[in-house]
Amino acid sequence: MNRAYLGEFEEIVLLTVAALDGGAYGVVLGHEIAGQTGREVRLNQVHSALQRLEEKGMVKSEMGEPTAERGGRRKRLYTVTAYGQNTLHQVREVRENLWSRIVKPFKLAVEL
Amino acid sequence: MKNTPQPPVWADKILSWICAPHLIEIILGDLHEEFHFKVRKSGARKARLLYWREAIGFIKPRYMKRQKSSYPNTSIISHDMLRSYFTIAWRTLAQSKVYSLINVTGLSIGLAAAMLILLYTKDEVSYDQFHSNNPNIYRITSRFISPAGAQTGVGGNTGFLQGPKFAAGVPEIRAAVRFLGTQSDIKKGNEIKSEEVFHADTAFFSMFSFPFVSGNPQTALREPKSVVISEEMAMKHFGQKDVLGKSLLMKDSYDKDARFEPYTVTGVTRKSPQNSSIKFEILVPFLTKKGEMERGMNWFNTFLNTFVLLDRGSNVSLVEKKMNLVYNADAKEAMKEAAEKYGENNKTEYTLQPFTDMHLSTDLPANNGLTGHNNPQLSYILTGIALFILLIACINFVNLTVARSLKRAKEIGVRKVVGGGRMQLVAQFLGESFLLCLAAFIFALMLVQVTLPTFNELANKSLALSYLFDIKLILGYLALFLTTGLLAGFYPAIILSGYNPVKTLYNRIQLSGKNYMQTSLVVLQFTIASFLIIGTLTINSQFNYLINKDLGYSDDNLLTVNKSNLTREQAHLLRQELQKDPNVLAVAPKNGGRWNTRAKVNGNTEIGFTYETVDPEFLPIIDVPILKGRNFSADFPADSITSVLVNETFVKEAGWKDPIGQVVDFWYDNNKKYAVVGVVKDYHYADLSEKIGSQLFTMKARNSYGRFFVKIKPGTESGSLQHVANTFRRLFPLDPYTYKFLDDENRERYEAEEKWRQILLFGTALTIFISCIGLFGLATLSAERRTKEIGVRKVMGASIASIARLLTANFLKLVCISFVFAFPLAYYSVAKWLQNYPYRISISALIFLEAALLAVLVAFVTVSFQSIRAALMNPVKSLRSE
Repeated sequence: MNRAYLGEFEEIVLLTVAALDGGAYGVVLGHEIAGQTGREVRLNQVHSALQRLEEKGMVKSEMGEPTAERGGRRKRLYTVTAYGQNTLHQVREVRENLWSRIVKPFKLAVEL
Repeated sequence: MKNTPQPPVWADKILSWICAPHLIEIILGDLHEEFHFKVRKSGARKARLLYWREAIGFIKPRYMKRQKSSYPNTSIISHDMLRSYFTIAWRTLAQSKVYSLINVTGLSIGLAAAMLILLYTKDEVSYDQFHSNNPNIYRITSRFISPAGAQTGVGGNTGFLQGPKFAAGVPEIRAAVRFLGTQSDIKKGNEIKSEEVFHADTAFFSMFSFPFVSGNPQTALREPKSVVISEEMAMKHFGQKDVLGKSLLMKDSYDKDARFEPYTVTGVTRKSPQNSSIKFEILVPFLTKKGEMERGMNWFNTFLNTFVLLDRGSNVSLVEKKMNLVYNADAKEAMKEAAEKYGENNKTEYTLQPFTDMHLSTDLPANNGLTGHNNPQLSYILTGIALFILLIACINFVNLTVARSLKRAKEIGVRKVVGGGRMQLVAQFLGESFLLCLAAFIFALMLVQVTLPTFNELANKSLALSYLFDIKLILGYLALFLTTGLLAGFYPAIILSGYNPVKTLYNRIQLSGKNYMQTSLVVLQFTIASFLIIGTLTINSQFNYLINKDLGYSDDNLLTVNKSNLTREQAHLLRQELQKDPNVLAVAPKNGGRWNTRAKVNGNTEIGFTYETVDPEFLPIIDVPILKGRNFSADFPADSITSVLVNETFVKEAGWKDPIGQVVDFWYDNNKKYAVVGVVKDYHYADLSEKIGSQLFTMKARNSYGRFFVKIKPGTESGSLQHVANTFRRLFPLDPYTYKFLDDENRERYEAEEKWRQILLFGTALTIFISCIGLFGLATLSAERRTKEIGVRKVMGASIASIARLLTANFLKLVCISFVFAFPLAYYSVAKWLQNYPYRISISALIFLEAALLAVLVAFVTVSFQSIRAALMNPVKSLRSE
């Protein structure tokens, strides 16, 4: 284990932050993940995942502009750090390695 | 924006309150944005609902945790600051040992006094509370109503009938217990002792909670010849505690026909608690003689206490109403008879008094076999003194801390400059005061432990610090501690923390100017002190007056011996036998106890009087002269049938110009009429808390004697006492022998007053002492502050005397101002207190003068010590340091 542990939801959030390229913040992330995965996402889950990622140093954040919709409150915009990017690459490598070893079509487990 | 739907306000409020401040902006922003998105998607109603759901999702520790500040913590309880506070506090205390000592001494004395009083009050308040049937136990009391409808008096006692009749007629009354104390003789071997024996109905032990060591409380009083005794009595009489089934030989002391009869011990109880109105050593079942329950006149014969147990939650006034219904129906005939025979036209109305109210009741005190009744006035006086002492100690603390603050001004300035907030300073000074208070508190606890035995003796209590293991008392002490700490520390903390740092560091601060707070506090202190001095002096002289007042008769070398049912023949024989010893000068029998009755004079005027049954020797033996007419005499054999003597007050009340030969009509006793043959000079037959009333002396043969007086030659006590004791034992082998000197007995009447005088004296001395150490501290400080001024004055040629006067005069002025407040207050209270005594001293200016002199003198001595020291100082020393 030479890399930090990344939970499945954290990984999705981190990927989405990377995909949104600087425009990622709570609500947008929620909608994006919900749209991509089709599962119900609640704001507090997104927030806690972001907090954890920030604590691990995989994303960093800065305050954005306030909008009227937010009642004049500012957004917190997230971007992926180099460490975050590395981690994503590593995760991807692991997955691709594993995929490449699957030569035959899937041998499915069949109930006997 | 007006018409666009808004998210629920309350959800936002709750979130902003719960979530960490550095996260709330983002959380709420996202929530709102999401809300507006949802409104567009699925409408306002649903969006609101979802909003709540989302919002609740944020109530998690992750979002509540407050952000750590990157600056060091400035909170009051930070570790480093706390250490600094303790160091500084310790240094200040250690540096000025005198002030610390004054403060701790004063506060611990004040706290100790307050603690003692708290213990005392707790005991007073807890009186009779230990019975598990409280608050449903009541005593039957009565009100007497004149025909005009006015209340003429109240009574706490009842008779044979009230208890059983009310219990039978009022369903709410579950049980009634009559309780009567009598004197009985107890025989152990050949020895006969007289003991107080109580009689109570069978329900006694189910109504009251007296723990049994052995025996069954329910059945203990069922059999007529059973007896319940205390452990002490068991040890005393049998020498062991396991005495169930043994028998005790007893007989009524006052019944001349009584024989010793065996009573079987059916129960042994623990010693009655000290805070109990009912204290018994021997308890037997209450027996009513045959026919007494049917005699209607017994409604008016009251001589015992009746207690009733009501059903839980009964309406007391309704029960009272029902009781009076029962009474008015049952006693109809008797009331008519009383009105006809005795002209009794007052109506009686029965009332109920909660059992726990008896102990401190002034109108309906616990008496007639119930013990420990206390005057609530004394509790108030005690509490007042304790509060005064504590207050004065707190004032010392405030004054000294503020006066000394000049020295700490720099510290305060520096603290403020480096960023100490005002609240921090307040907390620091309050903390210091609490620290000091804690030390004082610990000393006070020790002080209480040490002084408790003395206090117990003075206040006639058996208190112990182990009383402390009671949640209420611990809370009380805790409150006392907190109040004292706050009271003493609050004002200095506010003042000290308010200093302007620029001024304090520039070193031109002038605190010595007009300090009205300090002046007025000193005035308050001395107002209290002078008030107490005046009070103590007055009480002192009043008690001296009571003890030394001429009672109008001679009680020197006069022995009194109780002998119930002393017949005329026995008295005669006794006198003959006793006077065989030439040291016995005279012997005179008299009725036992005190009798009161009424009779008619001038035809139809009724007079109530004290009714004395004597013989011709009685008045000479106590040295009371006959003013008019003659004494009873053996030369007039008809005296015992036809003659009476009356005292001056009787004559005055009857309005007689020529009393000799006037007729006193005992109309209810077969219309017997007696002629007055002599007028006796008034003397104090009762104690001085009572005005001399009408008194009538008779020799009527049917009245029995209950005691006799023996006058012995001075200085022959041992021989004469032996002779009297031997003669008594020989003549009355079945009667217990106890004697007393009458002058001792008279002194004992004022024992309570004597004790209170001591307590007051002690309290006042403490108050003065604490005031003075405070003044001493202030004088020291003021001398210190003016060191340079004094030096300059001396260099310029001022004399030592003039400097000492300068320093002293200020304080003496304050003491004198305090008199302006103390005198009117003291005059008012003292006058009010003296009204309790029919025989009292007049308030003289002398007492006030004495008090003023004492206060000034004490203050002068305290202050002048420091003043003279300051004045004697070498000016070179004080000026060199500039």
